[in-house]
Amino acid sequence: MIDYLWLIFRVLVFPGFTFILFLTMFCDWIERKIEARMQNRMGPSFTGPSGILQPLADFIKLLTKEEITPNESRKSIFRFAPFFAFSVLIFALCFLPIDGASVIPNVSFGGDLIFVMALISVANFLLFLSGWSSSNPYSSIGAARVLTQFLGYDIPLLMLALAPAFLAGSLTIATIVARQWIPFVVLAPWAFIFFIITMQAELEKDPFDIPHAESEVVAGYETEYSGGKLAFLKLARDVQIVFGASLVTVLFLGGTNGPAFFGLPELWSTLWFVLKVVAVIVISEYMTVLFARLRIDQIVRANWKFMLPLSVLSLLLTIGLAVWVYPMV
Amino acid sequence: MTSNNLDILKALEAKNFQIQIGKLGTAAIQAPVGKHRDALKILLDLDEKTAVTAITGIDLGASVGVYYHVRTSNSFVTIQCEVPKDKPTLATITDLVPGAAFHELEVTDLLGVVFEGHPNPGRLVLPDTWPEGVYPLRKDVKINEVKLNTPSSEDVKLSDGSGLVKIVIGPHHPALLEPEKFAVLVDGETVKKVEPRIGYVHRGVEKASESKTYLQDVYLVERICGICNSCHATAFVEAVEKILKTDVPPRAKYIRTIILELNRLHSHLLTLGHAGLEIGYETLFQYFWRDREPIMDLTEMITGNRVISSSLTVGGVRRDIKEADIPKIKATLTELRKKIPFYKQMYENEPSIRMRMQKVGVLAREDALKLCVVGPVARGSGVDIDVRKDEPYEAYGEIPFKEVVYTAGDTWARMNVRMDEVEESINIIEYALDHLPSGAYRVKVPRVVPPGEAVNRVEAPRGELFYYVKSNGTAFPERVKVRTPTFANIPAFLKTAIGESIADVPPNFVSLDPCFSCTDR
Amino acid sequence: MVNITTWARVKSPWVLHFNSGACNGCDIEVVALLTPKYDVERFGIKLEPSPRHADVLLTTGCVTEQCAERLRRIYEQMPQPKFVVAIGACACSGGVFAGNYSVVGGVDKVIPVDAYIPGCPPRPEAIIDGVVKLLNSIQQPKTKEKAKSDDEQ
Repeated sequence: MIDYLWLIFRVLVFPGFTFILFLTMFCDWIERKIEARMQNRMGPSFTGPSGILQPLADFIKLLTKEEITPNESRKSIFRFAPFFAFSVLIFALCFLPIDGASVIPNVSFGGDLIFVMALISVANFLLFLSGWSSSNPYSSIGAARVLTQFLGYDIPLLMLALAPAFLAGSLTIATIVARQWIPFVVLAPWAFIFFIITMQAELEKDPFDIPHAESEVVAGYETEYSGGKLAFLKLARDVQIVFGASLVTVLFLGGTNGPAFFGLPELWSTLWFVLKVVAVIVISEYMTVLFARLRIDQIVRANWKFMLPLSVLSLLLTIGLAVWVYPMV
Repeated sequence: MTSNNLDILKALEAKNFQIQIGKLGTAAIQAPVGKHRDALKILLDLDEKTAVTAITGIDLGASVGVYYHVRTSNSFVTIQCEVPKDKPTLATITDLVPGAAFHELEVTDLLGVVFEGHPNPGRLVLPDTWPEGVYPLRKDVKINEVKLNTPSSEDVKLSDGSGLVKIVIGPHHPALLEPEKFAVLVDGETVKKVEPRIGYVHRGVEKASESKTYLQDVYLVERICGICNSCHATAFVEAVEKILKTDVPPRAKYIRTIILELNRLHSHLLTLGHAGLEIGYETLFQYFWRDREPIMDLTEMITGNRVISSSLTVGGVRRDIKEADIPKIKATLTELRKKIPFYKQMYENEPSIRMRMQKVGVLAREDALKLCVVGPVARGSGVDIDVRKDEPYEAYGEIPFKEVVYTAGDTWARMNVRMDEVEESINIIEYALDHLPSGAYRVKVPRVVPPGEAVNRVEAPRGELFYYVKSNGTAFPERVKVRTPTFANIPAFLKTAIGESIADVPPNFVSLDPCFSCTDR
Repeated sequence: MVNITTWARVKSPWVLHFNSGACNGCDIEVVALLTPKYDVERFGIKLEPSPRHADVLLTTGCVTEQCAERLRRIYEQMPQPKFVVAIGACACSGGVFAGNYSVVGGVDKVIPVDAYIPGCPPRPEAIIDGVVKLLNSIQQPKTKEKAKSDDEQ
């Protein structure tokens, strides 16, 4: 009985659903503040101390608005795609060890890295469906761009994610974290840099945010959504960003590894995890603010001409490192 | 090749045209119906930079006057025709000068003159619900008796059966600050055709100006466009001063020049920032607009209002520049000048800007000449026209400055033209402040303007702004005709967008710096 | 529950900007609100591209004949609760263009308006003042009845 209550607590409150929700809102606030400060502005300032409650206010306001479903849309897909995208991403996050063990206890299995990467693609596909089912020309173009972009960049993403797997000798996320007594960013820095760039493209952030290009496709796949569905669609995107940062942390930065000083070791693991995720989000947001947006043909060309060969090269280099150099260390 | 004024006059006299020197520009040519094309052909053959600035339609009672205002390298000539009201037809000139297409459509809309052979006849500025056969600028039309048709709500058709998808940009679209409709027909991601529908901001300014006094008209024409409001005011009051044959005191000329250049500064910084927004570079947009705020403060200090300054009047300016303010103005301009190298090296070296702007929206020099484009769009394609140099007005004849010309013809070149003009404007203002003559800043002018007509051109930030004013001796003008630079530049966009990706349409569009409230009036 | 809803609505008003026939003077002052000197993102105001995402419609300019139908459609596309702010003399009453042949008049001839901000153009500070007054009025129950009566219309 206690075990079941404990399971429910872990999944729903900490480090599960509620914790992830608040972490997402916190990261959203960090992104907005960095963007504002880089642009010489203040950003949200009056909603809670220093504007930290702004994402919460946005979410609650959207939940209380009228929900409009266009007549011409494919109604069932239109209604459920945002929730499914959000759920898939939260489910994927449950495989990552946030406080030392994965959120759903004992859920990790051999090869769950590949499973988690597949879940990213499913979530992206659901976002595409939400745009496609809106029957709006702008949504369709935005959705088509999402598809083009994530299908292209999934391949280098997977190859670069295999680099830490080779170094750790396993495809299980928990094992990769456990074997990082030196964080893999030190051993394979090239893989880290390329992975961050490819993740930027996968998350559709500047300079790769053409699916959200306001000046061309209004709001892309979000155009027809309003009210609660829009709240979950925007939240799905934010969770995707946190998930991407968490993946980078777990694969390259050592996940929850870090010294525990006093008290519960789980809380210290969570603290290190959160700090590393925030660091990755800060790097990613700096990249967003500093560059203009590339055209879709430039993004596709960048993928096939640069990212793919570079990721293959990086994989070969890491394999060489893992087989010959690492055992000697 | 450029022409000599004497050659033009000799060639025209050889074909037995009646010429009046000094009327409506360098000369006015009376052309009987059907002969206007011959006069235009003579001008086109003699000079490669011949272009149609505007076509004015005017109700002359029993007939409708159609005046073709043509600019060449060294002169400005008006070809005057008249058609009877019961048979208002004229041959089109769009085969000779493709850039005249919009001008002819406007005269058709507002005065009912039919141009035979026009490639795309249709409504231009009047709303869809306007009844057929009613022409607002004719004197016998009473506004409150016009009954409008009921609006029809047409759904947007995504494709017209030809295999091309129609993407409608506007009337409400984040890329545009103003409402206009551009239907872009695409094949995949390549643009095949652009169909414009302008007229969403048509407020009937030209008709309204005929029922307001000259002084009230200064306030009215200023509000044609909030961004280049001083240029509209300048062009109008200069035209009225030409009819009155009044000389404005030198101090007023210098103050007007300073106000005009401040206008140019804020407008160019606005466009440079807006271009950043269109290519997804929000940081650049914020930085440019942050540096634009001190210019707005300067305008407020000199004229009393941030945007619409209302500081020009017939006979001079309404407020003087205080001596104590001059060091403050110079300090602000020095601060702005220090930031220019940063922005210049951004445009030179930042790879994402170059990727999005170079080789995008290329307008070749021949097309620029044939489409009669003006302003930075022309100067970015190698055509060196600038009214401040070609026909100096106010104090521009006495102030040295450089005319900025780039030859690449793409979006990047046009943006660079504006960037360099920011620096030139700072130079002009500083020179004017250093050489500000003393004396009166305003002269008294008679309330009633004697009968007469005049044309006037001013270099607005977007290009050549043209005004034609005719007075009939009463307190109200007989006709005020405005031709704004964006009206002349839109056909260039329709051409440069073809063959490129749909993602290039926003930066291409912003590079021609469209101002639709100017276009529609 | 009610207080949290009102708190969220007041702290996160997303705006949509529509120009229905303006001279651009008011528009550039509205866009200037997003720039570093005035920065309305401090109040949680975000400029949204799609009518379906916005709470407050900022209209500028007198309504021309051609734009009247579009303005009405955009207003209908916005989800409840929604508010309209008319910025500038032209949006309030037609301004210098009232009575012209292709001008309908002020914005309230086409859609209901909640706040009028006069000026030609109003300074960015005046626009912020107007929007803040609107937000303060949302916090009072009087406006909730108005929102209900909008639903019934």
